[in-house]
Amino acid sequence: MITRRAANHSAERTGGGQTTDPEILRQLAAGEIGALGELYDRYQEAVRRFVVRATADAEDADDLVQATFLAAAKSAERYDGRPLCRPWLIGIAAQLLRRRRQSFGRSLAVLSSLRVRATASDPRAAIQARSDLERALVRLSEAKRLTLLMAEVEGLSCAEIAAALEIPIGTVWTRLHAARRELRRAMEASGGS
Amino acid sequence: MSAAPCPRLFEAEALRDGRLAGAERASFERHVAMCSACSREVQTLETLADALRAVSHGAADELHVRRERTRLLAAFDRNLIAPARRLVPRRLLWSGVAAMLFVSLLGLWRLRPATLPATVPSAVVHADAAAVWSDRTEGNRERIVLDRGALWIHVDHSSGQGPLVVELPDGDLEDIGTTFAVSAEGGHTTRVAVQEGRVELRLRGRSPLIVGPGETWVPDVPAPAACASAAVPYPEPSASVSTSQLPRPFSTPGPSAAAPNPAADFRAAMDALDRGDNHEAATKFGRFLKEYPRDPRAEDAAYSRVIALQRCGDTNGMKDSAREYLRHYPVGFRHAEVDALSR
Repeated sequence: MITRRAANHSAERTGGGQTTDPEILRQLAAGEIGALGELYDRYQEAVRRFVVRATADAEDADDLVQATFLAAAKSAERYDGRPLCRPWLIGIAAQLLRRRRQSFGRSLAVLSSLRVRATASDPRAAIQARSDLERALVRLSEAKRLTLLMAEVEGLSCAEIAAALEIPIGTVWTRLHAARRELRRAMEASGGS
Repeated sequence: MSAAPCPRLFEAEALRDGRLAGAERASFERHVAMCSACSREVQTLETLADALRAVSHGAADELHVRRERTRLLAAFDRNLIAPARRLVPRRLLWSGVAAMLFVSLLGLWRLRPATLPATVPSAVVHADAAAVWSDRTEGNRERIVLDRGALWIHVDHSSGQGPLVVELPDGDLEDIGTTFAVSAEGGHTTRVAVQEGRVELRLRGRSPLIVGPGETWVPDVPAPAACASAAVPYPEPSASVSTSQLPRPFSTPGPSAAAPNPAADFRAAMDALDRGDNHEAATKFGRFLKEYPRDPRAEDAAYSRVIALQRCGDTNGMKDSAREYLRHYPVGFRHAEVDALSR
């Protein structure tokens, strides 16, 4: 049973004017829809970035981002009170991605539709190298890709990843090692560095 | 003719992943300043990370973000549960239906009258002798409250009843077309084993977790018992414990304190490694390998044991365990690193 309060209930604020993540989660657990909006405003970009990189499919990503925040709302009362909830949200997104059991292997056509940021020095080489990297990333197993993105892109510690994915930290290490090895081999095979 | 690679090359990745601390970290950082190969390796790993961060993520425009925000709040206002279930692949649903039919047919054979059955609408519950539990109905939802002990539950969704929720001492569990067993002791959930269908396990302080058919969840908590002996030899593989094997329904009471718990044993060994108690970690990993040679974490344990012995300064022990790792996992994830350590 979800208890709801008025949607415009004002959020509790800290001295600096910024509502803390644990406070937002407490309000969300109490059914305040405004707290969900605040959480979304704060972390939608990070969650979406993680999901898009993991799936290479922006359309799919929208549904997964939605599902991530709804799952967070369902679990808000069990939030452990850490000051920042971004690792927790990334963990929920990763769990949803794993659950989906849908192949992340996308065609190169899909990959080529990804926008690539140009660099000033050698744009053609950079674009080529990045395309190779994206191809190699998509070819990684889902488990390795999620672990690698959580570590190298989202900056989660190995302990945080282990907790989020409910796996031993040693497995995080081995997945990271294997993922980097596969990416490096792929890059070397394609002539990149 | 190329020079032999630096034997400390693997430490670049260990440093990046937070596996080096204190004196080890300082030692390797000093080494990097003098070793061009390791310096290049550190730089290569950083370059790879930079490249990953530069992969486009197709940033959404402001209008799209606002539209998605509205959709999210509307979904939250409607229902918190239905949207999450949209992600369930259709073939899984069909598999679940087929599994339920199969289970229903088997049910007549498996559910024996001598096993203290207690039924709540749409669910069959078998409790062990020590279980303390109750059940109640809220609207169209069944709720079972488990204080302690072990329950085996089969949920029949063909009656059109809503989902069944098992309230646990430290969270709850929702069935999704399911036959499963759940145990709790000492105020904590100690085991969830799913036979058919799936369950969603929601424990306080943890992300929600789906446990699928044939899977068993046990908590990652340190084992209460301390490790006794010193050196534990690396075991020969043998037919032994499989964490995914389900207990036979109604056969034995719930888990006791002496029951094998590979997750807890592994966590205890990892905790020892994390706090720098390397001798204890090596001993516990060795014990883990002896007791659970077929466990999915066995390779992690074998590798971590090598690292623990290296940190102890036990060079001979480290080399022996590294060679054992290579013998058991000739194509293991850590082959190159352990190979370097074995020499």
